[in-house]
Amino acid sequence: MSKEKCIAMLLAGGQGSRLGALTRNIAKPAVSFGGKYRIIDFALSNCANSGIDTVGVLTQYRPYVLHSYIGTGEAWNLDERGAGVSILPPYATETGGAWYEGTADAVYQNIGYIEGYKPDYVLILSGDQLYRMDYHKMLENHIRHNADLTVSVMPVPWEEASRFGIITQDDDEKILKFTEKPKKPDSNLASMGIYIFNTDLLIEKLKEDHNDPQSEHDFGNNIIPKLLSEGRRLYTFEFNGFWRDVGTIASFHETSMELLGEKPEFDLYAKDFPIMSNASTRPPHYVGPEGDIDDSLVGNGCRVFGSVKHSVLSTDSYVGPRATVVDSILLPGAKVKEGARVVRAILGENSTVEENVTLGSVDVTKDTAVIGDDVVVGKGEE
Amino acid sequence: MAQAIGIITANYSTQNSSMLTDVRPAASLPYAGRYRLIDFPMSNLVNCGVRTVGVVMPYNYRSIIDHIGSGKDWSLDRKNGGLFILPGSAFGSTREGSRFLLRDIDFNRLFLDRATEPYVIVSSSNVIFNMDYDPLIDCHASTGADITIVTRKATCDDPNLSSAWIEDGRVKGMHRGAKYGEDEFLDTFIIKREVLLKALDWYAAVSHLDLFEALAQDFDKVNVMDYQFNGYAASIFTTQGYFRHSMELLDPKIAEELFPEGRPVMTKAHDTPPAKYETGSRVRNSLVSAGSRISGSITGSILGRGVRVERGATVRNSLIGQGVVIESGAIIENAIVDRNNFIPAGTELRGTPEAVLVKEKSPERH
Repeated sequence: MSKEKCIAMLLAGGQGSRLGALTRNIAKPAVSFGGKYRIIDFALSNCANSGIDTVGVLTQYRPYVLHSYIGTGEAWNLDERGAGVSILPPYATETGGAWYEGTADAVYQNIGYIEGYKPDYVLILSGDQLYRMDYHKMLENHIRHNADLTVSVMPVPWEEASRFGIITQDDDEKILKFTEKPKKPDSNLASMGIYIFNTDLLIEKLKEDHNDPQSEHDFGNNIIPKLLSEGRRLYTFEFNGFWRDVGTIASFHETSMELLGEKPEFDLYAKDFPIMSNASTRPPHYVGPEGDIDDSLVGNGCRVFGSVKHSVLSTDSYVGPRATVVDSILLPGAKVKEGARVVRAILGENSTVEENVTLGSVDVTKDTAVIGDDVVVGKGEE
Repeated sequence: MAQAIGIITANYSTQNSSMLTDVRPAASLPYAGRYRLIDFPMSNLVNCGVRTVGVVMPYNYRSIIDHIGSGKDWSLDRKNGGLFILPGSAFGSTREGSRFLLRDIDFNRLFLDRATEPYVIVSSSNVIFNMDYDPLIDCHASTGADITIVTRKATCDDPNLSSAWIEDGRVKGMHRGAKYGEDEFLDTFIIKREVLLKALDWYAAVSHLDLFEALAQDFDKVNVMDYQFNGYAASIFTTQGYFRHSMELLDPKIAEELFPEGRPVMTKAHDTPPAKYETGSRVRNSLVSAGSRISGSITGSILGRGVRVERGATVRNSLIGQGVVIESGAIIENAIVDRNNFIPAGTELRGTPEAVLVKEKSPERH
């Protein structure tokens, strides 16, 4: 693959408001996940592992952590001369400036960036999904079909199909119909929001869409239906691996727990397709003389003096003596002090649960307890 | 930016050759699970703002270069200054006690000539501590000493250490061996760059000597002073010492001194996932590095990256190197298992606390 053949535009500007306290100060793609990662690591690692070395990252909501984390992209081997990661926030021109008003508008506003690289293809990605995918295979599929647009799809359980953008295709993977959240789905192939466009067509359609006052400037709602109605060559690329959109507290908790167990579907340890991250170098974690860890992931720099069961402890978190952590996620630097009990909870970065405080409930009908970054939960506040 | 450049002499082996240092220079010995000895002197320099660091290489430098690379992980990949790989003199030295061979420094005189900083901080990679060098630089500058050596009160008798004879605040001599309470030399000193360049000329005829050996007759002429360090330090010169000091890291207070907030120990970054504990694992009083997967039982031990301890395997009071696999039912006690070893089911490897068993490094497995 020649260098500029396919570049990626990674949408990372969303707030992720359904993650509540976890995205109060940082954008969703910057939220910590899996003990040492941030959510955007998965998309950036996919790019690196697929040989895509030019990635524009579109940011907007609370970008500081995200920007400093991405840096030059060197943590993902993306600091390539003449390529690499570029952070693309909204900007002003001589006629003023505007926020990104939807996924298509965000890319529209950066047509200049795309044209600078003169790629044949543009890959559109989300920065908030967890999966491993070789985009190069998707690109090969796109080229093989001589497609105008390829949409990555995956089969979902029929009963859940009405929550997704559902695609109906023919025997040759050609898209016949695309319905956003159909009441009566006639297919269970869901769009993953991952697209490969021929560059010229993408630019043409984005410009058209920009001038359409009726449009919401969204790829799924506007661009794809438009292309379909014009009879363009739209094809699917079927993906059958682990894919999660950790858009809600419940799915964030559930997906974290899916990393546990003997043979998790998503194997963080697979060497041929590593998930890279811009992690700080911290010492190994320490388990104290009374520490007890069962069925859990534990990051570097943690200190565990109490009991941890079926949980994820991220970098530098702390579990004090006689403290208990069950079915929970401690984000980097979270502290559960002596004698505290934390059950089915998510503790934000550098948050603290004070001595002997009980937080969360085993009752699965209740919401997962969430403590925001830097919050201290004292006695009587639980 | 610090007023000093740094030199690390990574070309000296430990005195007692062992299976651990037969395969690598002491500077690349693994330490505290994920680190190597050279990380500590490198990080001390970088944490006090030194951005020009020369590392004198041994002949078998592959593992050091593999580890430090361009110095990126220590912020030493720079346009100005940065990391300099310095060749050691042809044969280096395995002679007892020599760690700052004049010849090694003279061989790299250009590195000193080109610098503009007034001071040079020189250290070996055999002594592990985490120290703020700023007060050392200030002290050295304010006393006007030619050389200021870093010492501490020796915590035990040890013939492998060196110590200083200090009178009225002046160092009058240095000798091999240290007794409890004596001023143990921590293999680190700061010297005026001009003085170091002059010393290379003065002692050109005896360049096979260590700087302090060469100075032996001249302590009355050259103003050598000492700076007391009160923190934790570990001198790694023997396999037993390596084992004993490694195990000290299981004391959280010592670990905190070696890894304090604000003075991070930097090392080569890896994309290693967090460690994973399976149901039934039992881990007590241990340090576990990233990427390890544990189903067995571990007590009082330190694990490197990516170690696998299978169900029913037992590890007690041992150092386990990177990538070691310990199969079900194996028992490891009082041992150093160097990297990549595969310990088959049912194997027993036992040393005693006084004589640890060393299982040498194994070739890479795929």
